[in-house]
Amino acid sequence: MRFPAGNTLRSWLWLLVVLALGGLFYWGMQRNPKELPSVLAKERRPAPDFTLPVLSPYQEEWGKTFKLSDHLGGKPIVLNFWASWCYPACYEEAPVLEATWRRYRDRVLFLGINTQDKEGDALRFIEQFGLTFPQVFDPRGRVGVDYGMYGVPETFVIDREGRVVVRHAGTIDQATLERYLKEVLP
Amino acid sequence: MRVWALLFFLVLGVWAQEKPASPPPDLSPEVFAIARELRCPVCQGESAAESNSGVATEMRRIIAEMLQQGKTRDEIKAFFVERYGEWILYEPPKQGITLWVWLLPVLGLALLGLGLFAYFRPKKPLPPELLEEAERRLKEP
Repeated sequence: MRFPAGNTLRSWLWLLVVLALGGLFYWGMQRNPKELPSVLAKERRPAPDFTLPVLSPYQEEWGKTFKLSDHLGGKPIVLNFWASWCYPACYEEAPVLEATWRRYRDRVLFLGINTQDKEGDALRFIEQFGLTFPQVFDPRGRVGVDYGMYGVPETFVIDREGRVVVRHAGTIDQATLERYLKEVLP
Repeated sequence: MRVWALLFFLVLGVWAQEKPASPPPDLSPEVFAIARELRCPVCQGESAAESNSGVATEMRRIIAEMLQQGKTRDEIKAFFVERYGEWILYEPPKQGITLWVWLLPVLGLALLGLGLFAYFRPKKPLPPELLEEAERRLKEP
């Protein structure tokens, strides 16, 4: 007995629809919902400029305010957004940042941006980890919005031409940070 | 007459609705209307209007400032899209790849309707010759 041609075609079509839907579903399941896009790093945009007050322990060396554009175009810059209330992520990465800064300080500039925090808490955090790279204070978190930041800690790497090349969300470890630095160092 | 008075007092209850949650007095409702269309970056499923997180508070402040500068709603939304990408918009834009988000449900419903229609469609009656033939055969011993 022969099936009418239309019937076979239709069952194939249904199979195709089911397979396509299944494929779409599978693809969706493979996606990481925590993966957050960074417009800045993806398009290698020029780092948004800002001027922020320098926290008191660093004013002697860096002046009262820090203007990013004064430092662009020379060494690569590592921007680290942090807050004293960000526990444990910021507490985990602070020693890593300090150690890496000490190793690379003649070739890379590190800048800590204390975000949505209280000055006293921020100073206590700095003292606890003995941070020696400059720290600026942004209690409102305005600069974070300019960088499309989701939440602390977040680290941005700016290359020697002043472009954002990396956005790292969450705690950063030594190996990852050094891998990023290799990308921007000559 | 008393019935009318009773009815009147019962109907009064219609006005006894809870007022919509009013925004804090320092920011205009317009700010919240725009913030409602933007995602709070650190939250799960909350808009920048509802969240009390630091980023959302700052976003509302930025919106208020931009409104004061005479920026339009679209310009303000573009400001955030520029920084966060289209992800920040609560409703995916009705163009490009996210247009599918709006079209697929309609397409799916149409497909379902088509399938249901095909399934429940009244079957074509059998040709009379065939029926006659069948009846004739049934009558045969």
